[in-house]
Amino acid sequence: MKHSLETNGIEHQLWLSRCRGGYRLSLGDKVITSVAFAHEGDGSGVLSIEGESLPVRFLIDRDIIHINIGGTTRVIRYVEPLRARSCAFAQTNHLVVRAPMPGIVVATKVSPGQLVYTGTPLMVMEGMKLETIIRSQREGVVERIHFKEGENFERDAVLVSLSEGVS
Amino acid sequence: MAPPKRSRKTGADSHEIVWMTSVCANYPFDTILIANRGEIAVRIIKTLRKLGLRSAIVYHEIDAGTPAVAMADTAIAIDGRTPIAAYLDITQIIAAAHKANAGAVHPGYGFLSENAAFAKSVVAAALTFIGPAPESIELMGDKIRARNFVQRNGFPVVPSAIEEDDPATFLYRARAMGAPLLVKTSGGGGGKGMQIVSDLGRLEDAIAQAHSEGQRYFGDGRLYVERYIENPRHIEVQVLGDCFGNVVHLFERECSVQRRFQKIIEEAPSPALSPEMRKRICEAAVGIALAGRYRNAGTVEFIFDGAQFYFLEMNTRLQVEHPVTEMITGIDLVAEQIRLAAGHALGFTQPDVVPNGHAIEARLYAEAPKRGYAPTTGKATVLEYPGGNGVRIDSGILRGQQITTAFDPMLAKIIVHSSTRLEAALKAYRAMRELVLLGCETNASFLMRILAGEAFLSGDIHTGYLEQNPHLAAGDADLSSFLATAALLTREIRESADAVPELHAAVGSWRN
Repeated sequence: MKHSLETNGIEHQLWLSRCRGGYRLSLGDKVITSVAFAHEGDGSGVLSIEGESLPVRFLIDRDIIHINIGGTTRVIRYVEPLRARSCAFAQTNHLVVRAPMPGIVVATKVSPGQLVYTGTPLMVMEGMKLETIIRSQREGVVERIHFKEGENFERDAVLVSLSEGVS
Repeated sequence: MAPPKRSRKTGADSHEIVWMTSVCANYPFDTILIANRGEIAVRIIKTLRKLGLRSAIVYHEIDAGTPAVAMADTAIAIDGRTPIAAYLDITQIIAAAHKANAGAVHPGYGFLSENAAFAKSVVAAALTFIGPAPESIELMGDKIRARNFVQRNGFPVVPSAIEEDDPATFLYRARAMGAPLLVKTSGGGGGKGMQIVSDLGRLEDAIAQAHSEGQRYFGDGRLYVERYIENPRHIEVQVLGDCFGNVVHLFERECSVQRRFQKIIEEAPSPALSPEMRKRICEAAVGIALAGRYRNAGTVEFIFDGAQFYFLEMNTRLQVEHPVTEMITGIDLVAEQIRLAAGHALGFTQPDVVPNGHAIEARLYAEAPKRGYAPTTGKATVLEYPGGNGVRIDSGILRGQQITTAFDPMLAKIIVHSSTRLEAALKAYRAMRELVLLGCETNASFLMRILAGEAFLSGDIHTGYLEQNPHLAAGDADLSSFLATAALLTREIRESADAVPELHAAVGSWRN
């Protein structure tokens, strides 16, 4: 079956199957005929990929794997097939505005019950030394503001929930 | 006072650092309070130990598990509405200094290091401030006054229009200089409150935004507009002054590799200067420091367009990138700061300062270059620093430490020293390659791409280099090895592959 791995907001579909001496990996329209991983103690090992051997350091944290190969680190998330599908349904009636980066709330511009339109400023946040205005992506009614002024949040945190307006 | 001693180790290879230690037995204090955190606090403690002085530190509880707090002889908790507010609380810090029986305060960089009111409070509390006189901090902290001061003393500054000279005609005067322009706030620095305007139609908006940013960040909405020198190089000169009116320079550093006005790779010496130009720029820095009767360590920053240099600003504190200067001169800048603050004369003269080899520093940040340098968070579950001859790590984090966005995203500095620039660049690249930090995304591979890039290796860099080469931040397109590893390490993916026997799988693929 097809699996999905996400890194930097992009999902990659892949398919792994057994073959002699290891595995065969289909990545999009690319096929890597021989891949194998040999563990060498905790959190390290060697990846064999098309005749090349690469030392790997890794850290598994629930559905996230941090992988370092040759000084480059990638954070890869396993997207569970069920969750990938349920998200698509949830998003239509549960409207949320997420944080584009970690930061702190400088000001809230709306209050619960308020009707907002596409582009209405909802919140002013500060992250990366810059002020960023969080705007509504669509029309709706403010249901809940999840963070107060001065509060910190992580990337992807739900900042504001909206509900469908009276339409 | 004893003359400086050069402790030359035998059998040293060509790039070994020869430390020049100014021997000074008596200080009017035995304990120094560090009003800072992270890597710089660790770095200061190391020198205090070397000098036989005791260290005290203030810390917010979020930093309780950091190496600086563990290393200090005394650690005193302070609090605030936010962690940053705690480190900016002058009253609590002075009280902590008394509680720790400290006789002096070292402000590090950032936080209160360039706050004249803090320096005054320290002195008023009968403590020694490890830094310049409050008047110097005030003069150089006001970018408009500093600029006028430097110009009045005959040193070059970039043509500019200053709002307060005549607010009514400010916009007109700014526009008359022609695009591109750089809008700056008087209290600014570190990239805050600065904007490039290449389309004069945007000037008014940029000014309005800078007013509000200046007010918000520095409580000072005063502005000036400079002619924007395109693709300049950032060159700064380290100076040291004593209270007897002596000033020496410790040569220059080049910090042209910047993202959004933030330095990320620094080096010494600069590959852009001829010996004559080096002499001129270093002498200008000494001249500016002398004119301001500057004492203690300071850095005079210039921009250099290849032919001319212009004064940018003077930083009245230790700089983040000071280690590259230490590596090429063998002078411990923190030890000198303490000596000078103790009222001693400089222990050496200009001819004693002899640069040796080349040093490069790369700043490891908790940030994602490919997502617009957005800060990242996590836990440094795996942390292994590179080592070896000529590799120095100034780190403020420990393995297992939580990385938050409460402070600046800098985690550590990787500093290398070699006999030539090319060797130093290769050594820095290798060091970055060996570094392993898992659990929080960093800019490590981005730094590697810069260090291995042709432009950097040929010394052909300027402050706009990263903006003009966005592929460096975007990173490698080929993810196969990473995805293959992730697939092989994900139980669900491996189990579903193992559930299908090998022969069957092969048949399956023929069918497709």
